Amino acid sequence: MWQIIKSVLAAFFGVQKEARRREDFEKGRAAPFIIVGVLMAIVLVILVVLVATLAAG
Amino acid sequence: MRKRLLWTAGGFAFAGLSGLASADGWNMPVGVTDVSREIHSLHMIIFWICVVIGVVVFGAMFYSLFRYRRSQGAEASNFHEHTTVEVIWTVIPLLILVGMAVPATATLKSMYDTTEADLDVMVTGQQWRWRYEYLGEDVAFTSNLATSREQIAGEAAKGEDYLLEVDEPLVLPAGRKVRLLLTSDDVIHSWWVPDLAVKQDAVPGFVNENWVRINEPGIYRGQCAELCGRDHAFMPVVVQAVEPERFDAWLAQRKEAAAQEALGVDRDWSLEALMERGERVYGTICASCHQPDGSGSPPAFPALAGNQALLDERDRHIDTVVNGVSGTAMPAFRSTLNPVEIAAVITYERNAWGNDTGDAVQPSTIADEWLAD
Repeated sequence: MWQIIKSVLAAFFGVQKEARRREDFEKGRAAPFIIVGVLMAIVLVILVVLVATLAAG
Repeated sequence: MRKRLLWTAGGFAFAGLSGLASADGWNMPVGVTDVSREIHSLHMIIFWICVVIGVVVFGAMFYSLFRYRRSQGAEASNFHEHTTVEVIWTVIPLLILVGMAVPATATLKSMYDTTEADLDVMVTGQQWRWRYEYLGEDVAFTSNLATSREQIAGEAAKGEDYLLEVDEPLVLPAGRKVRLLLTSDDVIHSWWVPDLAVKQDAVPGFVNENWVRINEPGIYRGQCAELCGRDHAFMPVVVQAVEPERFDAWLAQRKEAAAQEALGVDRDWSLEALMERGERVYGTICASCHQPDGSGSPPAFPALAGNQALLDERDRHIDTVVNGVSGTAMPAFRSTLNPVEIAAVITYERNAWGNDTGDAVQPSTIADEWLAD
């Protein structure tokens, strides 16, 4: 699980080690990555809204 | 020798760049409001960030090109990934962008804060003039281009404020917060005064807000910044900022004049008085399309001189001026001109350039029969 979160974070950031990418594609299944990705996108949106509210307040 | 050349070139470049901060015509103006100063300093900060990035990136590139050139036996290194380098070149732009966003957001916040204004002015764009209304003060007027037709046609020397001068400027009190409510009667215009750092679209059916607090009395000029038709270049903005006491006196005087004008609606006007007033109204409002001699520019703008259909039907003539003609360029003047001005300009059109109906259209007729609703 922690590995999946780390890989999704790396994808958000845009930089990933080739070795880890290979590992994810060979051993993992797609569904957990998609679910974690959607959840973390929601977290990102909430964070942006919080920062904007803080700045406007 | 080469070194000295480099230093000289560098010196010139630096002198040129540091001159940018104040150079008229090359850089945006510092302006005369706190917001315009903030915007200018933001602009300079970001400019210098761009300069540093440019120097570092191109410096590294040109250094590498020169130092590791093939004729010196340089060998390309072939590698596919380098996570540390990739992280560095992602994090640095992120920090730069966040560093720019923080002061920019602070400035945006103050730009949008239109609360607690001392004065509200409605700014309405019209093809092709600006109308200003001091809300709650019963003072309103249109501000028309004052540059002469001879200058525009190239028959006279251009004045200092060519196409940036108006018959009546927007007078504002220095030091007070003025809220601007911008809208339009016809197409999209944009009210732009660089020294006030205001460039706001005036959109028909919408009211946009902005505000200014001018620190220094003076005259500030601008233009319409949204292509709005044939005379887009001929509807300048002139703002005259005066000391608050002078502004109060000016406003009181304008209110008095508006009251006098309202009294004028009820009295009987002589043909001569209407003609004289009408000629002035015609010159500022009508002449840009129908021409000073009433010859028009057919087919878009019909001639008024010798226009028999017009002269035979007085009511149609009045209706055209008051309500406009939908589907054509002829706007309705019922809210732009007051009854005296409408009566005077119609009288003028019916008696000038060889038109000789002898009609004196009374302001009271216009007010009672045409503007009653």
